[in-house]
Amino acid sequence: MRRLLDSLYNAAAYLAALLLIGTLAMVLVGIFGRMFGFQLRGTDAYAGYCMAGAGFLALAHTLTRGEHIRVSLVLEHAGVRGRKALEVWSLFAATVLSTAFAYFSVRLAWQSYVLHDISTGNDATPLWLPQLAMAAGAVLFAIAFVDLLVGELTGTRVPPPAGEEPAHVE
Amino acid sequence: MSSDLLVTTLLIVALFALLGSGVWIGLALAGVAWTAMALFSSRSAGDAMAVTIWGTASSWTLTALPLFVWMGEILFRTRLSEDMFKGLAPWLERVPGRLLHTNIIGCTIFAAVSGSSAATCATIGKMTLPELKSRGYPEDMAIGTLAGAGTLGLLIPPSIIMIVYGVSANVSIAQLFIAGVIPGLVLATLFSGYVVVWALLNPGKIPDIMERTTIVQKLYASRHLIPVIVLIALVLGSIYAGVATATEAAAFGVVGALAISAIQGSLTWTTFRDSMLGATRLYCMIALILAGAAFLTLAMGYIGLPRRLAEWIGGLGLSRLALIVALMGFYIILGCFLDGISMVVLTMGVILPTVEKAGIDLLWFGIFIVLVVEMAQVTPPVGFNLFMLQGMTGKQITWIAKHTLPMFYLMIVATLLIYFVPQLVTFLPHQMKMG
Repeated sequence: MRRLLDSLYNAAAYLAALLLIGTLAMVLVGIFGRMFGFQLRGTDAYAGYCMAGAGFLALAHTLTRGEHIRVSLVLEHAGVRGRKALEVWSLFAATVLSTAFAYFSVRLAWQSYVLHDISTGNDATPLWLPQLAMAAGAVLFAIAFVDLLVGELTGTRVPPPAGEEPAHVE
Repeated sequence: MSSDLLVTTLLIVALFALLGSGVWIGLALAGVAWTAMALFSSRSAGDAMAVTIWGTASSWTLTALPLFVWMGEILFRTRLSEDMFKGLAPWLERVPGRLLHTNIIGCTIFAAVSGSSAATCATIGKMTLPELKSRGYPEDMAIGTLAGAGTLGLLIPPSIIMIVYGVSANVSIAQLFIAGVIPGLVLATLFSGYVVVWALLNPGKIPDIMERTTIVQKLYASRHLIPVIVLIALVLGSIYAGVATATEAAAFGVVGALAISAIQGSLTWTTFRDSMLGATRLYCMIALILAGAAFLTLAMGYIGLPRRLAEWIGGLGLSRLALIVALMGFYIILGCFLDGISMVVLTMGVILPTVEKAGIDLLWFGIFIVLVVEMAQVTPPVGFNLFMLQGMTGKQITWIAKHTLPMFYLMIVATLLIYFVPQLVTFLPHQMKMG
């Protein structure tokens, strides 16, 4: 189970990284198109979809690496028991919120599919396709929070690896 | 009406309780937004959330953000900062303060290819801190100037926080970038001026020159600066000349950074993969905050909080200066506890109508916001440049903050300067060729 979940988070993160390359590729194709006078329709919109996919699919992986920002000021000064209680509380709140987000993201993609919702830009993409990445990423994000909450409650939570890359804040 | 006010107050309290108890910032924002919508609107909060977040996360203007983040991650893994030190050091032998200026000038140059304050601080610091230490420079000055100068990463374009502001306030990102150039150089000059004055007042504390170089040697050493200058010309030049949007310039930047990395021989599969995954995670972290904030801004519109705040502050009859000083105080306090991006996205939806009503130019206000966010980077207990330097030097955060304080004051001076001379901000953008 542990290995399955970890490889799921990692696979999604690699997919997200590929979509980041996709974003770059779409922007570059747009530039070349303008320079050399060929027009590929909708590169701007595709870049946006790739970026969205990259962001959502990386959510779970970023969380398990401990790189999503939170205010840790109180946590750090709460003592051992207070800290544990606060961790359980914030993981619980996050589980509820991320589950709601996952539910409504799936619903959005589903509705776009049923209603044949099409992008209003000149790319005319059926919107459920790129929204699928949002739905998948959001579901995985919710799973990761349940995973962390269970780990915290049973005392088997593995702390995230210490940040060896200091560039990871704004 | 008064019950509305009560509910609004409760929502703000709930927000700070959620944030304070350690709930991830993006989710905390979404949670409060959800509650607000459920109370004030008959629209389905969940559906509104999904649609709003999707719209923000897939918008074309935002695509500059992950690309600039990626560019920074690539450059962090090159030898660019070593080269810059080699190119700069010979020129600074005779300036009072000598190599302390490598921090400031190094950060200024690196800021022009990096969008982030902490990354600028880390990239320059990993080179200058050991060099300055081994040559016997006073550690407090070395670390203080680095923490301050690192914040130039935000003001000198490209800048992640400017993209975030541009998207929230609907201001041209290209114009914001160009508007940041002169204030950035002014602030860098203030920092360097401080070092000069300090060095003149404390003549014994700066170590002697180790080796004298001739002008030919200096010029020859400058070849190390060529890659970074080409990259700056590529990214900022293309925006200023109007041939590229911010996003397109970011794409040039990524390609250019990869090229530099390849030429230097530091481009391997490992560094490429690490830069890509690192950029994806950093972007994802920012995207979660932006997503929550987009939903919160929507919900705020339903409550009518921004409009009422604008009316209330408008009714106070504050002068523009008083308003700016009050806002500066507010952001400095907020910046002690929140990171810059959260601070901006959290407040923009509420505060912009007030700012517009006071007749403040939104482009100018963007630069003002960047300056206060810079202050937030160096104010304890939560300041990312302080965290970064704590990790790099092992010093106490309060010690670092204390020695960064002069830089903090200089940032306030810079803010007042752009208030009294707004042309510092607006001159260059007005000269831009609009493509």
